[in-house]
Order: sequence, then C-alpha cells, then structure tokens
Amino acid sequence: MKAQHSVLCLLASILLTGRVGADSMLKLQGSTTVNPICAEAAEVLLKEQNLACTVDPQGGSAGGLSALGDGLVDIAMTSKPMSDKEKARYPSLTFVETAIGLDAVAIVVSRPVFDGGMTSITREQLRDLFEGKVTRWSEIGGPDLAVFVYDKEPGRGTREVFDHFVYGKEPPPLVSFRNYAQVGGNEETRTKVAAHGSAVSQLSASWVEAEKGLGALGVKLADGREVRPGEATIRDGSYPMTRRLNLVTRGAPEGGARVFIDFILSPKGQDLVKKHGYLPIATQGP
Amino acid sequence: MHSRGTSVTWTISLALSFLALAFLAAMTGFLVLESIPAFRARGIQVVVDPFWSPPHGRYGALSMIYGTTVVSVIALLVAAPLGILGGIQLSERVRSRWRPWLKAGVELLAGIPSVVYGLVGVSMVSRLVEASGCGARDSLLTAGLLLSVMILPTVLTLTDDALQAVSRPTRDACRALGLDDTATILHGVLPPARAGIAAALLLALGRALGETIAVFLVVGRADNRLPPPRELLSALSDPGQTLTSKLGSTEVFQSFADPEHRSAIVGLALILFVLTALLTWSGRALLRGSEAR
Repeated sequence: MKAQHSVLCLLASILLTGRVGADSMLKLQGSTTVNPICAEAAEVLLKEQNLACTVDPQGGSAGGLSALGDGLVDIAMTSKPMSDKEKARYPSLTFVETAIGLDAVAIVVSRPVFDGGMTSITREQLRDLFEGKVTRWSEIGGPDLAVFVYDKEPGRGTREVFDHFVYGKEPPPLVSFRNYAQVGGNEETRTKVAAHGSAVSQLSASWVEAEKGLGALGVKLADGREVRPGEATIRDGSYPMTRRLNLVTRGAPEGGARVFIDFILSPKGQDLVKKHGYLPIATQGP
Repeated sequence: MHSRGTSVTWTISLALSFLALAFLAAMTGFLVLESIPAFRARGIQVVVDPFWSPPHGRYGALSMIYGTTVVSVIALLVAAPLGILGGIQLSERVRSRWRPWLKAGVELLAGIPSVVYGLVGVSMVSRLVEASGCGARDSLLTAGLLLSVMILPTVLTLTDDALQAVSRPTRDACRALGLDDTATILHGVLPPARAGIAAALLLALGRALGETIAVFLVVGRADNRLPPPRELLSALSDPGQTLTSKLGSTEVFQSFADPEHRSAIVGLALILFVLTALLTWSGRALLRGSEAR
C-alpha cells in the first residue's frame, strides 16, 4: 500500500511541475554584444522595481530572434537589423526593434600583428583575408607572421554586419582553407585571437582592449580615407561597419518588457550602455 | 518465491517501461520522417558530398563524417592500449587492499560530465598541442586527444570487468602448469576475455562518437575540411568539424527557418544515430557472447 502511494505521488508531482513558474519572469535572449547591458539592467531592475528577468546570450542575434518568434522569450537582444527573411519566418507577427545604443564591428588582430605594422585594411584585402587567399601578414603590409582566420559563426550580428560590408547582399563564397576556425560569442573571439598571436577576427569595437592582446584595424575607404572605429566615426557613420543595438519585441513593448526597455532608454539605462563601452542612442539633440 | 506485487504497481511499472520504448520509437520516427525530404531531394549526396553550405544549397555530410571518424579513431588509438594495460594491472596485479579504491576512482572518472572535460580541454590540452608546435590550438587532433582522456576510464573499467569474469579455475590451472604471472595473463586470462575487451572498445568508441560539448569546444568548427590523401596526416592538426560539433552549434536553431536546411540537419542526426546504434549493439552482443561462456 505504501509503495503504491509513493509511486502515485511521484507521478502526480511530475505532471504538476511543468505548470509552475512558466510565465512570471521576463525573458531575454540574444546577442553577446547587447548582453552585458541587459544583464546589469536586470540586476538594477530586480533591486529597484522587483522585476525578475533572465538574460541569456545563447545563439547570438539569430538565436534570440528565433526564440522571440517561437514565443520562448519576451525580448530579443540583437546587434543587427532584422532581415526580411527573418521577418518572413513569422508572417503573423509584427516585430518592433527599439534601438538602445550604437556599436561598431571592428576587424581585430592579435597584438603582434598590429604592432608589426598591420594597422589598417581595405575591403578587398578583407575579402582576400577571409577567403584564405592571404597566408602571411607580410603579403598585405604587416609583419611576417602566419595568418589565422577566426570567423564568427553565421547568424551572429557581428558576422552579418561584416558580411554586409564585404559582400553586400550576396552570401560569402564557399571556400575552405586550413588556417580557419569558427568562433561564437565576443568573449571566445577575444580570448582566441589574443592567445593565438597572429590571428584576425570580427569583434564588437567596444570589446577591443589593447592591453588584452588585441588591436583594432582602421578601414581604408574607397576615397583613400582611413577611419578607425571610435565614438566620432560611429556617430557620424563614417566608419562603415556601425550598427545599432536593439531590443526586439513582438509588437510594441508592453508590461515587463515595456518597463525594461523604458529603463534602458532612460538616462540611468543609457549610462549603463556607456559603462559597457557602447555609445548611447542620441534621443535628444545637442 | 517472488510476488508480482499488487496489480496497480505492476500496471504502472509496465506502463512506464512501454513509455521508454515509445520514446525510442518516437525519436527514431522523428529522425527518419524529418530527414526524408533531404534524402529525397539529394539522395546519396547527403552522405557523400564533402561540402556543407546552406547559403549555396549544399548539404553534404562527408567532411563531418570524416571528422567524427578521425576524432574517434585518434581517441581509440590512444585510449585502447593504455586502457587495456591499465585494466590488466587493476585486475591482475593490484593488491586487493587497494583495489576497491582504484576501481571506485576509475568509475568516478568514467562518470564525470563531458562539459568538465571540455573546459579542461580548452585550458590544458589545446595548450599542450600548441606548445608541441603542431599548429592551431583547436583541431581534430586536440579533440581526439581530449576524447581519449574521456574514454580511457571506460576502457579500463570494462577491461577490468572482462578479466575479472575469467574464472578462478582457469587461473589455477595456469599456476598448476607452472606459468608465471605474465604467461598466465597473456595465455590464460586474456584469451577468454577477448570478447569482453572488444566490447569495451566498441562501447568506448560509441561514447567518443557521440560526445558533443567537449568536441565542440576544441575542434575548431571549420566546415568542409576534407583533406586530400597526401595532406591527411598534417591536416590532423587543423581545425575540423564533426557531426556532433555541427549539431551542437547554433546552426540547428537557425536551420528551422528553412525546411530544406532543417531536414538536412535532422539527416545529420540520423546518420549519427545509426552509427552510434550499430556500435552500441555490436558492443552489447559481444558482451553477451563473452558472458555466456
């Protein structure tokens, strides 16, 4: 009798646990670039307004949008504009992208490459580099070190901004070469490029720290100007790989999502954006 | 005299066991049905095409099958000799005072979650590979070596089990014939344990084949790497891709946007499922065979 009783209780509890705690939390998912801002905002909001949030940098911008469209999360954090293809996946939904900050994609190299003279790059050189046509940095004006390419995985906001700059609307060509590996989020990219010693990758501009073994390349534009990623060049758009950081919702933000987004857009929230190295979105004129 | 218990308990137990079978059937059904579109569109190309590039409509698994094979073979080549020798030591040479501790230790290692091995791999193993001058940190070789560390305890403990299963009379007979320790092991104990050891290797290989997190972290995730024969050896220290590292990546979620892409991804899972099932069944069959003796 006792054994039957326990088995029945166990079954009942298994069936019930699925129902508990499903809807009470505000869920965010997406870009590792936007993540630090939202993670800290979540802490502040919990303390000040008792709003509980979970912030998950799984899957980057594309992962976040997927989860948002599937109804698994309330807000997607993205570092790239939503593409028509992505919108077409969910024809019954209207997505609203609220810009909360500005950032740029930097072409980052290991410090020895930067110190050895490789400080800027043209679009064509970038294409050759990421297609495996350049094997030593000396071929494009750098030191005599072997090139290693760490490519951001497709779907990441950083990667899509890069592809858009280098290839426009065409997909990158199908190439395969030996000195190539893929990286995921910003943290992994930074660690691997710095540790390697002569590598290149795409990284959010604010994540580049010289003392951590990285150098950000300037981009040589078609008219001969060289633009380095910095506050001025990002704001006026002269640096070609600038992007807005967005919080995306299904329809206009409401409830907990509205509270969260309003907070990020408030002066306190924008301070958080600045604190993590990004540029605040200029909502008021000078 | 065993009682079957009351009919309620019996019914619930029966229902739960059928639940397990139903789950297996559902999973197999899902894998087969969802990947049919990919196989229908491309037929055998899904398996033999070395190029995987969704933007270009290429969904070939060959480079990944190659990667999975290479990584598993490296793991087995390192873990098999060490594991078998270690198992022999544990079974035949270790004094009974220490045996319980060592056996417990090995089984503990065999049970450590793979993500822990992955993190260890990222910090230690890839540094070793780089220091030895073999090239990039993340590579098929790094993944293979990390996997060998993971499956070594499994090979060791199963070899020990196989040897322990050899009966006392067999060992006594060897002693009676005047054989020393080494001869006893080589000619008396190992031969009957052959099937059990082969099963151990197959099961360990099955685990290596399916390992995702650890491989994902250190294999480099470079698609379309299928080196020409003359580069095979040197390409071991280049980044690559395995079936599991592809399935463990975010591409799986992105593939849901495109039915063709999604079907191909499930096809990869099916290939992996079939390979692992074949290995596991052969391993179990061998184990049953050896125990029957």
